[in-house]
Amino acid sequence: MASLDDPGEVREGFLCPLCLKDLQSFYQLQSHYEEEHSGEDRDVKGQIKSLVQKAKKAKNRLLKREGDDRAESGTQGYESFSYGGVDPYMWEPQELGAVRSHLSDFKKHRAARIDHYVVEVNKLIIRLEKLTAFDRANTESAKIRAIEKSVVPWVNDQDVPFCPDCGNKFNIRNRRHHCRLCGSIMCKKCMELISLPLANKLTSASKDSLSTHTSPSQSPNSVHGSRRGSISSMSSVSSVLDEKDDDRIRCCTHCKDTLLKREQQIDEKEHTPDIVKLYEKLRLCMEKVDQKAPEYIRMAASLNAGETTYSLEHASDLRVEVQKVYELIDALSKKILTLGLNQDPPPHPNTLRLQRMIRYSATLFVQEKLLGLMSLPTKEQFEELKKKRTQEMERKRILERQAALESQRRLEERRSDLASRAANGEVVTLRGGPAPLRKAEGWLPLSGSQGQSEDSDPLLQQIHNITSFIRQAKAAGRTDEVRTLQENLRQLQDEYDQQQTEKAIELSRKQAEEEDLQREQLQMLREREWEREREQFRAASLHTRTRSLDFREIRPFQREPGREPRTQLAHVLDLGSSPAQSSAAAKTLSPSSVLEPISLWSGPPALGQEFFPQTTISQQNEVPSLNLFDKEDLSSPTAEGTASPLAAEPSFGPSARILKEYNPFEEEEAVAGNPFTNPDSPAPNPFDEEDERPHQSPSSPPVPGNPFEEATCTNPFEMDSDSAPESEEPIEEELLLQQIDNIKAYIFDAKQCGRLDEVEVLTENLRELKRTLAKQKRGAD
Amino acid sequence: MNVVFAVKQYISKMIEDSGPGMKVLLMDKETTGIVSMVYTQSEILQKEVYLFERIDSQNREIMKHLKAICFLRPTKENVDYLIQELRRPKYSIYFIYFSNVISKSDVKSLAEADEQEVVAEVQEFYGDYIAVNPHLFSLNILGCCQGRNWDPAQLSRTTQGLTALLLSLKKCPMIRYQLSSEAAKRLAECVKQVITKEYELFEFRRTEVPPLLLILDRCDDAITPLLNQWTYQAMVHELLGINNNRIDLSRVPGISKDLREVVLSAENDEFYANNMYLNFAEIGSNIKNLMEDFQKKKPKEQQKLESIADMKAFVENYPQFKKMSGTVSKHVTVVGELSRLVSERNLLEVSEVEQELACQNDHSSALQNVKRLLQNPKVTEFDAARLVMLYALHYERHSSNSLPGLMMDLRNKGVSEKYRKLVSALVEYGGKRVRGSDLFSPKDAVAITKQFLKGLKGVENVYTQHQPFLHETLDHLIKGKLKENLYPYLGPSTLRDRLTPR
Repeated sequence: MASLDDPGEVREGFLCPLCLKDLQSFYQLQSHYEEEHSGEDRDVKGQIKSLVQKAKKAKNRLLKREGDDRAESGTQGYESFSYGGVDPYMWEPQELGAVRSHLSDFKKHRAARIDHYVVEVNKLIIRLEKLTAFDRANTESAKIRAIEKSVVPWVNDQDVPFCPDCGNKFNIRNRRHHCRLCGSIMCKKCMELISLPLANKLTSASKDSLSTHTSPSQSPNSVHGSRRGSISSMSSVSSVLDEKDDDRIRCCTHCKDTLLKREQQIDEKEHTPDIVKLYEKLRLCMEKVDQKAPEYIRMAASLNAGETTYSLEHASDLRVEVQKVYELIDALSKKILTLGLNQDPPPHPNTLRLQRMIRYSATLFVQEKLLGLMSLPTKEQFEELKKKRTQEMERKRILERQAALESQRRLEERRSDLASRAANGEVVTLRGGPAPLRKAEGWLPLSGSQGQSEDSDPLLQQIHNITSFIRQAKAAGRTDEVRTLQENLRQLQDEYDQQQTEKAIELSRKQAEEEDLQREQLQMLREREWEREREQFRAASLHTRTRSLDFREIRPFQREPGREPRTQLAHVLDLGSSPAQSSAAAKTLSPSSVLEPISLWSGPPALGQEFFPQTTISQQNEVPSLNLFDKEDLSSPTAEGTASPLAAEPSFGPSARILKEYNPFEEEEAVAGNPFTNPDSPAPNPFDEEDERPHQSPSSPPVPGNPFEEATCTNPFEMDSDSAPESEEPIEEELLLQQIDNIKAYIFDAKQCGRLDEVEVLTENLRELKRTLAKQKRGAD
Repeated sequence: MNVVFAVKQYISKMIEDSGPGMKVLLMDKETTGIVSMVYTQSEILQKEVYLFERIDSQNREIMKHLKAICFLRPTKENVDYLIQELRRPKYSIYFIYFSNVISKSDVKSLAEADEQEVVAEVQEFYGDYIAVNPHLFSLNILGCCQGRNWDPAQLSRTTQGLTALLLSLKKCPMIRYQLSSEAAKRLAECVKQVITKEYELFEFRRTEVPPLLLILDRCDDAITPLLNQWTYQAMVHELLGINNNRIDLSRVPGISKDLREVVLSAENDEFYANNMYLNFAEIGSNIKNLMEDFQKKKPKEQQKLESIADMKAFVENYPQFKKMSGTVSKHVTVVGELSRLVSERNLLEVSEVEQELACQNDHSSALQNVKRLLQNPKVTEFDAARLVMLYALHYERHSSNSLPGLMMDLRNKGVSEKYRKLVSALVEYGGKRVRGSDLFSPKDAVAITKQFLKGLKGVENVYTQHQPFLHETLDHLIKGKLKENLYPYLGPSTLRDRLTPR
């Protein structure tokens, strides 16, 4: 109990509901329960037991959900549609199929072969080094021969009567030659020569790269080079005189082959073709875009919504930067495309195909990403946006205040209603009384609402609370109360069970509902906004601007007092509503759900929403519209819609934890975020229309339904950015140029695919754009 | 149990494991088809795979700046090609994946060929089948039998395909087969053999209910493939032919050049995914909606895009528009061609009679209808022969069977010998003598009542009355009522035996 009273401590896990000892698992909890608390009241235990079972069920369900989520994240990139009734998403999560690796086997076999090969090569290179270590030009032939014979023992002349390679008989005219590297014998025709430069190259390279030779996998970018270097040395073979090899070493074909292979490997390591260099740059640029673009989009969205989190200059700098990268990508890929086209022997068709493919994928990349790059508002637009936003905020604050008042009023009514209904039940009247009185009664868990946040679900919290009430009531010997409470508990548990199942469906439905709510609210805001806008416009636009700035400065102050009473209010409401809960379970849930944004304990709106329809009906029956604000409030969705975002703030601590399980967190944020952003999105529209229309028909009001559809769009930002800046007549030149580039890309693409009709339309557009650009330039001059 | 996803995961893993850099995908004829079923070109381009080569193509250039991902079936020829390739490597590094089990000796000869140490990976990734839909795969074998017996090569390919399927889905199943079919039994035994041999591969987490592999023979239900179907995918396949998601439209009169061959893939085509199992009538209205949608989005030439705002909106919608325009023109063409064929071949009337032959037992009316249609010049010889086949199958043992008369009619109609021979061949293939089950007259009481009720209600759609026999088989299987004397288990069949590892 102690920790229940401590609001600061948040505990979770398998806590024993009676002593709050943390137990590691459900089974341990159960056994702990049987050992420690078996002496305690049977009834309570039964309740708790069923509660635990329910919790277990719920947990299983949650786990299953998690599994699904995981499956979904695993299937990323796997775009799938409904498959006409067959939905693969409903299937069990699927991991990568079985695999079997033969790599170790493969390596074992290869190692045996390679060892042999490497030893062979290294032997040759060491000998080569010895053979080239002295100054051949200034040494006598005999001495050279001696040294050569010391490097490798020469095969005896008598043993080899025929050339082993060509089979010709050796005689006076066809003399024997020895390979200086392996000592074997061949005829002159079959003899090869290694020039000193080549020898040097081989020996010097092997010194520093012998280690890397055995692991080509670690140098994946090793590239193909040519053998040209060695071919030149071979061409001179025929003209060689037999006497003295000043600058070359005789060897057999086999040794030469091995060495040439080695040389090729060295060449490959060093040489990087142009395409690789360009391609690496291209990939770097793409990575940069992947980094910067989201950042920019975030900025642009925020700016277009009139927020002042980012500075306009910074954003436009970033925009220019990103665009430069795009240009670079374009240029690089074009360069890759034309690589080697002018060379005399034209490149292999496959090389060209590779280049075309790279260019194509770069074009795809640019098309996909660049088009997501929304434009920024101009300075003037931005000022207007900011102004509008301030006004929106102001409006929202008023609405919130109204909503808060309204809900308080409603609560009071319900309380009185309850009180009258339960007039015969002693319990209810007792606890239905004012807060201090109730406190004196000493139902402990109620007093610290934050302290109850141990449980991950508000219903579970309630269940907990009620169980502890029961205990206390029992201790106090109030049997009738105990009975009522137990009844409540049962209903709560049923509710919880049911709720778990419905949650998934509910979440989706709720989203739709919320959209509706927002739309309604927006419409109202918009209409009013528009009216005011018009007035302001008539007055003077300069005036509005200064005023809006004022507002902005005042805002922080206004907000504070606005919030404070509300939190207090929430507190009061919370206290007030709790007894209602304990008195009749069916009832408790409904008020809690309506009040949920204001009351601290009742958690995420997602849960409350479930009961929403039934309560609104009862609300509207019960609540006569005696309020000034009933225009907003009668349509109680509006009230709730406005109330929730801010109300969500104070209850963030407990609810954040609650939410993380089924993650309506985003939802909550959506609730909180949308009223901020959404009203902004239709807001620019009246402006635009004002901007444009006054010249033509200042009196014609914008059609309210029309921009509205835009506002309902799931992504208000995009809409915003589309409609707001573009309607300004003098378009940024940059934007125009960008568009022209885009269209050019399309034309290119369309031409390639042979869609001539499209090319035509596009060309027409291009012309149009260019004309506008020229006109604008003229205007600017 | 999503086969498309299973194969796609394999391919993605291969590409991922090879790291960044330009890549070439080296495949054989079959794996090319396997990959193309799950990945589009632009999708795979984004993963830096820029070239697609066949291992057997001779005209490959040395490109040491590319990494090679080899996805090959473990056939003798492929191993030989690969050995040649490794002796003179054309690419900087090789990641080798075989689509099925490869022998140790092949691995050894590959290893010995890799003197330049260009191989970085050798694995078995069991994507050895053509994944058509999430729950449908094919091995693209035409004619797997010689007479009633397996063609040995095809038996081994089918076994490989099935075991690869099991491995890619990580299932080690119980096997049941159709007793009446020797081929089904042979295949079941072969699969079992592989599972036993490669037991360590098949060690997966055991599930409460072990997965089941049920092997059926087409001869059990020769009726279904003879009927004209009326759902989108089935119609396209029946009337135009789907080959690895590709449809050849070159025979369509007045077809434009870029629609000669179109790709219908539910993975990338939302309209197709949503409509592939819908009725032809529904497709008609859906395609109308699609068109209208498209018309709305289509930039209007006459409107001339007056402002820059229009312009910008157009440009931003353009990629989407382009994609949509491709989808629209494709489906409009396909559906248009389907409906042209339907009316040209008088398929509605044909289908009605087919359904009557398949589902009802009124001999005289059926015979009359078949005779009538055989006189109709619009009915193609192919459809005419199919009608007679259906008649022959259904009324094979009917007392007043008048097959000879119908065969005469076929001859008079000018139906070629090739088709006429098929009638008797089919009766031999799927007739009563062969069939393990009765397709036409329901035996048990439940089925009889069902049919009776159906008769009372009247059929909702005369063209889709027939339910494939497979439906009933699967239904029984799910309910645990599939008879063990008709579909026995291979090996131990009691639950305890099944669960204990052997």
